[in-house]
Amino acid sequence: MLSLPLLKQSIKSNAVMWGSMTGVMTLLCIQFSSLDMTRSLLFTIFYGMMTTILPGIYVLVTANKLLASQVDRGSMAYVLSTPIKRSTVTFTQAFYLVNSLVLMFAIQTGAHLIVNNISPISFATLGLNMLKGDLTSKMIIQVNLSALMVCIALAAVCFMFSGVFSSSKYAVGLSGAFTGVSILANMLAMFGSLGVEGLDKFKYLTICTFYDYQSVLFSDSDWMVKMIFPIAIAVIAFGIGEIVFSKKDLPL
Amino acid sequence: MNDIIKVSNLTHDYGHGRGVFDVSFTVKKGETLGFLGPNGAGKSTTMRHLMGFSSPQSGNVSINGLDCRKSTGRIMEKVGYLPGEVALPDGLNGREFIKMMQGMHKTKNDERTAYLLKKFRLDTDVPVRKMSIGEKRKLAVVTAFMSDPDILLLDEPTSGLDPLMQEVFIDFIKEEKQRGKTILLSSHIFSEVEALCDRIAIIKDGRLVSTVDAQEVRHGLHNIMTVEFKDKDDLLQFCNSGLELSGRDDKHLRCSVKVYDEDINAFISAVKCLKIKGFSEHSVTLEEYFMHFYKKDRATGGVCYA
Ligand SMILES: Nc1ncnc2c1ncn2[C@@H]1O[C@H](COP(=O)(O)OP(=O)(O)O)[C@@H](O)[C@H]1O
Ligand SMILES: [Mg+2]
Repeated sequence: MLSLPLLKQSIKSNAVMWGSMTGVMTLLCIQFSSLDMTRSLLFTIFYGMMTTILPGIYVLVTANKLLASQVDRGSMAYVLSTPIKRSTVTFTQAFYLVNSLVLMFAIQTGAHLIVNNISPISFATLGLNMLKGDLTSKMIIQVNLSALMVCIALAAVCFMFSGVFSSSKYAVGLSGAFTGVSILANMLAMFGSLGVEGLDKFKYLTICTFYDYQSVLFSDSDWMVKMIFPIAIAVIAFGIGEIVFSKKDLPL
Repeated sequence: MNDIIKVSNLTHDYGHGRGVFDVSFTVKKGETLGFLGPNGAGKSTTMRHLMGFSSPQSGNVSINGLDCRKSTGRIMEKVGYLPGEVALPDGLNGREFIKMMQGMHKTKNDERTAYLLKKFRLDTDVPVRKMSIGEKRKLAVVTAFMSDPDILLLDEPTSGLDPLMQEVFIDFIKEEKQRGKTILLSSHIFSEVEALCDRIAIIKDGRLVSTVDAQEVRHGLHNIMTVEFKDKDDLLQFCNSGLELSGRDDKHLRCSVKVYDEDINAFISAVKCLKIKGFSEHSVTLEEYFMHFYKKDRATGGVCYA
């Protein structure tokens, strides 16, 4: 099912992009959670936008490189001239994509946990005066889990386009439109929730709606229920990508 | 079960008269089949079906009795493929690419790899991206042969190689033939097909024009002998000697005859006692034979074979 040499090649060829996105996300997280000037914006800016924008860019570029671009350039011919089956190729590439995201969030979460243990941030600082006490480690893990699931769903949709189309042009075009609209609508919806009239309707336009840090902070279970949707989307999208890629004619 | 590669009635129509239509041929165990045709004839398309990249619209393609699309993975355990266009994965150097391919083939034959690298004089420390087209090609050749597969699908293997390397490659394929490999080699170059292949399938506009035995073709070729005489009597005597005439020029006292290899003695006895002023020989090559197929019945209908 999994081809280790192919996995190694995927890790190697995407290392720069993965490293820089993970680095930027982790540094921003440390900055927002530790500097007095930005602490109050930890949730609106960092967890509200950065945890979808940065992984969004990463999956958009990477999903295309994992299948469509290799078919487009012709280098997939070498992989498929070995006893490796097409289904093994898609499984390995999807495995890489999901796990690189898991690792990206794990590193970022780890950094936040360390910072938060050294100097805990109070709900008052975050502007949530109705809540008492400090942000807990459990909440940090839950928020990131919620964000990770939505990013995996984004990745799955980009991967689906990458498996369906044999040209980077279409794969990137449609993935870009999908990720762009999702992230943009999420930002507009957030301004809506902050009080800008009419913008809150945008939450119906984006799968980022299923990422709910408010629910975590208020300690209800909404965020867990909402995780079902991105998981379902991910399973379906990875499935379609895999089936189409295994069945279609490859112009190699 | 002697047929290793089997293509039966393969059809894949891409529209506008492009694609392959009702192509059938087989390659027997240990045989080298040349797949000869001009650019755009459908050679790579046929290879793509054999590699399981495309499904036939109708017809069948199989290797070792297994359907090329359904059992691709199993077939590839025995197949070495050299793509027509080199597009190596980026971000690797030559050695890393070789290692990756060894891993995916699940074979590691360092001795053979070293032999191939030496034979094709390839420096593997260069990033693939910086390699010239010829070097990329050589790297692709090394990876296609390094797991020592029994069946080889080679799509225009010498394109991009310099003449010296082309010669090395041709010698190498002769070696592989000796070792009993089954080879399908596509090409638009007559000389390499002539040098390497046991049988030749000619494809044009997606259709097989003819499949010929290379040995037979070579044997069936003839020479055109043109003799110039000192006087007309000798010319007339020569013309009546029973040889197959192909041209006669009374003004210059010249006469041309078609001479097959087995007629050469008859030709010599016919000219022995005649007074000859000049003599020239012209061999019809395999290339001319094929040019005949290439040029004949174009879409325009013109016959250009001179
Ligand atoms: N996937 C495809 N879609 C449309 N046309 C194609 C496709 N693949 C090949 N063709 C057309 O089929 C013809 C045969 O191409 P090809 O097999 O590459 O020729 P060659 O004999 O030079 O290798 C060409 O006219 C090419 O444009
Ligand atoms: Mg070709």
